[in-house]
Amino acid sequence: MITETAVAERITVIDPAGATSACAVSLRRVTKSYGERTAVRELNLDIASGEFFSLLGPSGCGKTTTLRMVGGFVDPSYGEVSLHGKDVTDLPPNRRDVNTVFQSYALFDHLSVWENVAFGLRRRRVGKTEMTRRVGEMLELVQLTGRDKDKPSALSGGQRQRVALARALVNRPSVLLLDEPLAALDLKLRKAMQVELKRIQREVGITFVFVTHDQDEALTMSDRIAVMSEGKVHQCGTPEDIYERPATRFVAEFIGTANLMSGSYTGTGIELPGGVPLYTGRLDGCSIGDEVAIAVRPEKMWLSDLTPEMVQTDGILKATVYGGATTTYLFEIAPGVEVSVLEQNLHSARTEERWADGERVRIGWHAKHSLAPLT
Amino acid sequence: MTTLVAAERELAAPQAPPAGRRKGSGMNRKPRFAIAVTVAFFVLLYLPIFAVVLFSFNTKKSLTVFEGWSLRWYQAFFNDAELTESLQTSLVVAAAAMVGSVVIGVLLAFGLVRARSRLGGAANVIMLIPLITPEIVTGVASLMLFKGVGLQPSLTTLMLAQTTFSISYVTVILRARVAELNPEVEQAAMDLGATRFQALRLVTLPVMWPAIMSAAILIFTIVFDDFVLAFFTSGVDPQPLSVRIYSAIRFGIQPSINAVGTLMLVGSLVLIAIALLIPRLFGRRGNSFDLFGG
Repeated sequence: MITETAVAERITVIDPAGATSACAVSLRRVTKSYGERTAVRELNLDIASGEFFSLLGPSGCGKTTTLRMVGGFVDPSYGEVSLHGKDVTDLPPNRRDVNTVFQSYALFDHLSVWENVAFGLRRRRVGKTEMTRRVGEMLELVQLTGRDKDKPSALSGGQRQRVALARALVNRPSVLLLDEPLAALDLKLRKAMQVELKRIQREVGITFVFVTHDQDEALTMSDRIAVMSEGKVHQCGTPEDIYERPATRFVAEFIGTANLMSGSYTGTGIELPGGVPLYTGRLDGCSIGDEVAIAVRPEKMWLSDLTPEMVQTDGILKATVYGGATTTYLFEIAPGVEVSVLEQNLHSARTEERWADGERVRIGWHAKHSLAPLT
Repeated sequence: MTTLVAAERELAAPQAPPAGRRKGSGMNRKPRFAIAVTVAFFVLLYLPIFAVVLFSFNTKKSLTVFEGWSLRWYQAFFNDAELTESLQTSLVVAAAAMVGSVVIGVLLAFGLVRARSRLGGAANVIMLIPLITPEIVTGVASLMLFKGVGLQPSLTTLMLAQTTFSISYVTVILRARVAELNPEVEQAAMDLGATRFQALRLVTLPVMWPAIMSAAILIFTIVFDDFVLAFFTSGVDPQPLSVRIYSAIRFGIQPSINAVGTLMLVGSLVLIAIALLIPRLFGRRGNSFDLFGG
């Protein structure tokens, strides 16, 4: 068994970005405690320059606290925060080369859109001509040209969000911190803004550190993701790494759906509850008698065209859920062990339900798609 | 669809005559008794004030018979050196208490909301005590305190007492508004390069101004009108207007007092109206009654 802390440490060591000194953001053993409660524990992170980096985790996992420590709004209890190799741990927010898009947007309601965006440039005493040009360019980038005289209260949620983005980006920070900036938008607008944010990031080439609890958002937008839980990083890698090769059981369960199957290891497979054998083949690093768990993604399971080299098992159909593009089947493969299988609806019309509830169906998957063993 | 159209038509149609018009329809009768009580209440409430205003314009000295319009008593008031000096005193005391209590009260409101101290809760309760203590108790207590430390009742003691007891009002009004502030807004200002002080000046105070102005005007009117505390803490000379009027009345009511009362009433009404209008003039969201922190 590998402990969670050990996993986190191993990840940091093998993290390729950690070796270079050109990291935009670098956290070393950063810890934040509020009295008894530890929000962030011994966190090590290296974010490369120009990266779209996401901190992903459930609420209360310490992702926002981490972001605020980079921004300078929360002082770490211990550890070091550096930006481009320079230790900024003791610098106040106004002396760090980062800007933040706040979750509440935190617009200045008494100032116009133009004045909101110009706020940072005024503080830096940027000349009038340059200020006018840069604010104009930025309003164009976020497609708010012509709304410059409006007060924030006259704007829609999506527009307010874009003002917050423009206000931060206009200062050309080396790192932009985004604290769940899309959380308050409705689904459709959120999807549109995801694309928009990604476009803007590519255009300006600034490092984005993005906090979210929405896995889809993190998967679709990020170059790399750090999955956090209870103040620790469980895994840090590309979206594909995180999804296809989750390092811990938490990651496997938090990202997407995972069919977890656990039991004692027999050398050729796992004995599921009720003595049902599951021939998974050899599992690396496990000895006979170990309690092990494997996980398989619903879309990686097959119900037809099974081949002999697949891992196979029988399941009793419990439910069929039609979902438009896909259909989800729920099977029981051993007492108390349920798996869901996702099939694409390749045929235009909804086919008659292929199996009746209670029917026994053969399920198979390629051994390489067993995420195993998980701790 | 049809129900929607029907509903719209119903809304657009002129109001049907109220059911109360029909005789003997039980519960729907006009509440005559309630109306009578309400009218009586307002008459009793406003008739004396109306009388003061009316008789301030009387041509004769009579306080029972109105004989014609004149500004005689206003002239008398402005020619009365004692009364005008008292008016001046009251204005100065009200202004001093306003400035002093607003400055201290604003700082206190920020301190109580922002300091994450356990004393905050206790301080909130302590703040309310001056507001619920009978003013006569406050007045006597202040007088005893000033005597105790060897201060003779004077303009200074009057200002000190009025300022002290106004701080509670300001703090209670502004604390709610400070608590409403989104802390991220100030952080955003600092994130954009503002220092702590610049963030306060450029972002927080502009949002707080309407509430601060409302509180200031409220304090001004309260202190200007105050009698009880002024009676106990002011000296013989200079005397605030309210105390001067009280003394004058003991030697018989002069119609010029009516003129003073009318002027005070008009002044107070104007200030209260401004206090109520400020939030709207500043274009804050909603049309909330801002005096008490909305």
